[in-house]
Amino acid sequence: MSSDQDLVVQTVEEILTGHQPVKPTADRRWDAELWAELADAGLTGVGLPEEAGGSGGELADAVAVVATLAAGAGAVPVAEHLLVAGPALLAAGLTLPPVDEPVTVGVSGALRVVDGRLSGTATDVPWAGVARHLVVAADGPDGEVLALVDVGDLAATDATNLAGEPRGSYVLDGVPAQVGPVGELRARYALARAVQLSAAAETVLAWTVQYAGERVQFGRPLAKFQGIQVQLAQMAGEVTAVSALVDAAVQRLDRGEPLELAAAAAKVRAGAAVDVVARLAHQVHGAIGFTLEHRLHHLTTRMWSWRDDAGSETTWARVLGAAVAGDDPWPALVGVV
Amino acid sequence: MPSTLTLAPAPPSEAAEAVRLEVRRFLAEELAAGTFTTHVDTWLSGVDPAFSRKLGERGWLGMTWPKEYGGHERTAMERYAVTEELLAAGAPVAAHWIADRQSGPNLLRYGTETQRKEILPRIAAGECYFVIGMSEPDSGSDLASIRTKAVRNADGDWVVDGAKVWTSNAHHSHYAIVLVRTAPADPTARHAGMSQLLVDLSLPGITINPIRILDGGHHFNEVVFDSVVVPGDMLLGEEGAGWHQVTAELAFERSGPERILSTFPLLAAFARRASTDAELATLGRLSARLLALRQLSIRIAAALDRGELPDIPAALVKDVGTTFEADVAEEIRRVVDVPASLDSPDPLGRALAEAQLHQPGYTLRGGTNEILRGIVARGLGLR
Repeated sequence: MSSDQDLVVQTVEEILTGHQPVKPTADRRWDAELWAELADAGLTGVGLPEEAGGSGGELADAVAVVATLAAGAGAVPVAEHLLVAGPALLAAGLTLPPVDEPVTVGVSGALRVVDGRLSGTATDVPWAGVARHLVVAADGPDGEVLALVDVGDLAATDATNLAGEPRGSYVLDGVPAQVGPVGELRARYALARAVQLSAAAETVLAWTVQYAGERVQFGRPLAKFQGIQVQLAQMAGEVTAVSALVDAAVQRLDRGEPLELAAAAAKVRAGAAVDVVARLAHQVHGAIGFTLEHRLHHLTTRMWSWRDDAGSETTWARVLGAAVAGDDPWPALVGVV
Repeated sequence: MPSTLTLAPAPPSEAAEAVRLEVRRFLAEELAAGTFTTHVDTWLSGVDPAFSRKLGERGWLGMTWPKEYGGHERTAMERYAVTEELLAAGAPVAAHWIADRQSGPNLLRYGTETQRKEILPRIAAGECYFVIGMSEPDSGSDLASIRTKAVRNADGDWVVDGAKVWTSNAHHSHYAIVLVRTAPADPTARHAGMSQLLVDLSLPGITINPIRILDGGHHFNEVVFDSVVVPGDMLLGEEGAGWHQVTAELAFERSGPERILSTFPLLAAFARRASTDAELATLGRLSARLLALRQLSIRIAAALDRGELPDIPAALVKDVGTTFEADVAEEIRRVVDVPASLDSPDPLGRALAEAQLHQPGYTLRGGTNEILRGIVARGLGLR
């Protein structure tokens, strides 16, 4: 990590220090105060060029912001905004909305663009009802397109994910849209979730190691029991593997190389690690980790949800498998990242 | 993550990609000429001295060693690319594998000038093979409990008595690096009093007995030492520093691509026919796991290039990697209906059989996964 990213991480961590993690509810669907503080600090424009209204900086800086907020369970749409919608809009040659207005993303449902107007239903939209703008993949006259619409005045259904975060739908009826090439919207979304999963898994491991060192049973800390050590070592194996692959996929994006297969691999691997990491973390934490009184749920419930977002492991595994299948699988495989 | 477990990203290496393509071309030609056939786990079972000599002629053994010892002064990243391509193709690399991977680097680190000058060029030529003399009939995971002993005689030579087991391909090899007690065991300092000896396997008093594994193959041996007189100048490194030297050696033993790719030829056989959604999803899941492991293994190669000895991350990668190797066959079985048999007319059936019959070995050899997780736990600060 460069000193720029250290500074970005430090700034985000300082802001997070003033916020208890929020478990979103019907009354408080997101952490609007946290978003406002991030926006005031210019952090909702990191990695987006200044000439487009962003704060400048590199992709790695934006990834650092997203990872730090994921680790801190920040209930804000920063991953969608900085790693998915923002760069996808720029790649499509469209104009970014002001960077202090949250933009989210939708890749499922049935949508079509006719004469610059978007119609249909966007489903499983993260932060539906909270975001001001929505970027979607939609059917256009000549294939799939990317469309940006203002959803600030539109109602969304109030469905939630396992962490209580909004995952509602919008019904769009001829909403004026900016339209461009769809590009790698889905892959960007998948990679953004993989970045968040990696950061959350690393924090869950750290919390679990800490808890095992503090909790005393049978006269010694849990961490001194070999059975617990094995579980923590298994968690560390998963966390390390995910982190290395996600890093490699991010570097590929940074080099401007085709992202789809690398993002597929990262999403599949990160999603697969969730079961081991979250399950063992809860096992080691015991009953207290199974309650809303303890902080563990903020990350484990998000991990269970993030792995479903942007296409499940099965969906992306088929994409990756189809690319590796054939007479010469080895070169195909090592060309992915 | 604690810094003991983290690995810095590897810088891209154009040289590694260039040599990768050379190896790939060579392997395609050899396969076309029928000089070898693809098998699972060939770094244990694929002994072919002629093939090893061909690799030596092309400069693909002893790659990172100094030229004065027959090496080629290339990077660990380049060596990684070469070894990875050989394993992915299921090529017969077992004859030279141990010598090139760990015995040579061990000699470079601790050997005398004479030992290096005499032996390293022959390893790099693909002509001189080594076995690991660590485990014993009564000492597996608890390596510090070994009993094979070496005592100096009046001439200053070492007289060795004891036995080593699981010595892969000792019956094809020229030397063993044998961990011996050179001082009596001391319960208060379990790791003291051990030394490494460089032992010529043709010396009188050495008996090599085969130990067959589940597929009937003869790879393992028991090597018995009955008052074997080893010349005094064949001590490797320092007397009494054997434990420390073995630990360093294990960083090489545990970190390579052979800890993730032993069953890749099976995965490749599956990939050649995968077409249904379920098959493609399985192939994709296994591919994602392999890609993550590969990134870790490449990072370890880069750490070796920086002169580090990443023994704790190597233990982690070997744990996760060998678990993956074993899972490949199970995951594929869930989506195909092909009986595993060494006599199968179907290449997938044969590869499944080879992978299955070798499976217990993946998570045992080079340190059991239980031992590895203990090392990772130490890296996490738990012990």
